[in-house]
Amino acid sequence: MTQSLEQELKSLVIDALGLEDITPDDIENTAPLFGDGLGLDSVDALELGLALQKRYKITIDPETRNMRDHFSSIANLAAFIRNQQAA
Amino acid sequence: MFTFSIAQWQGWAENLVDPQEWERWARAPFCPLGGKPKTSKLGFLPPIQRRRLSTLARGVFECAWPLAEKRRRNAPLVFASRHGETRRSFQLLQTLAAGEPLSPTSFCLSVHNAIAAQWSIMRGETAESVALAAEDDGLEHAFIEAVLMLRAGHEEVLVVVAEERPPSAYARWIADVPHSYVTAFQLRSGNDWSLTLNPVVPSPTKLTRDTDSMQLAPPPTPLWPNPLNLLRHLLLGTLSWQHAGANSPRRWRWTRNSTPSGQPTA
Repeated sequence: MTQSLEQELKSLVIDALGLEDITPDDIENTAPLFGDGLGLDSVDALELGLALQKRYKITIDPETRNMRDHFSSIANLAAFIRNQQAA
Repeated sequence: MFTFSIAQWQGWAENLVDPQEWERWARAPFCPLGGKPKTSKLGFLPPIQRRRLSTLARGVFECAWPLAEKRRRNAPLVFASRHGETRRSFQLLQTLAAGEPLSPTSFCLSVHNAIAAQWSIMRGETAESVALAAEDDGLEHAFIEAVLMLRAGHEEVLVVVAEERPPSAYARWIADVPHSYVTAFQLRSGNDWSLTLNPVVPSPTKLTRDTDSMQLAPPPTPLWPNPLNLLRHLLLGTLSWQHAGANSPRRWRWTRNSTPSGQPTA
């Protein structure tokens, strides 16, 4: 069984941001990644954007509307990447 | 001349953390490399905070945090490192050379005052901090900076001198960091210690009658880094010694004006 995109993204978040003591199972698909959720900040957003561009060969246009929403949870990120890859 | 008191101090190196190990090192200095290094656990910090700390930053936090916990909050910090985080810089340079985008996290932490800034954020200390890079007498310059802060009215100042063992590519140019180390000193106003720049060399006539040959011969260059040399003299109770850098015209004299128990030595 291949790993779901959501599961893959959780591992990517943990690796790219050096989250010690956290496993993919600790991150829920719809839980907020930033602020009160996982506690990520603006530098993490940049780091995560870079990691996504490298891994999925997508381009992240800073002018994109609703970028904040796309990055708000694992589920939204997965939808954003599927959308970008289909485009 | 600068005078001050050292209220507390602490040293950190791989495999050299406990006071008994430092005592052993002071009596017979050795290079603490080899064996599996004890990794800094930094259990006092939540994982979300410590994840961005580099190896050098972890050493600084492990060394200086217990010292800072024992004192009043919000003391200024003087951070000194001659070479800084060479591992991070080298990694960034390699990434640039490969034509790849830089890690935003690594890039924003690649400034010399990054560790001082992380210290301020994580401890919630808003007092001023200074990040210095000096030649091989960075320790002395850091102490001078701290004494000036004491004179400006601060009750105490934390001095941290830290060096990271550089990547092997730097071996030809960096010879003064045989291993990573951190030293931390809590300084207060006082007269326990004097630090003097370029002590006057006695005239030849006085020379013959002077039994203190230490005044005349240039101080030997120790095989261990200068900040660790201070730890060694602190542990051994040395009354006075000199330090001159390998390429520096500056010669410093450290003098202990009172014994560790507080009794005057004269």
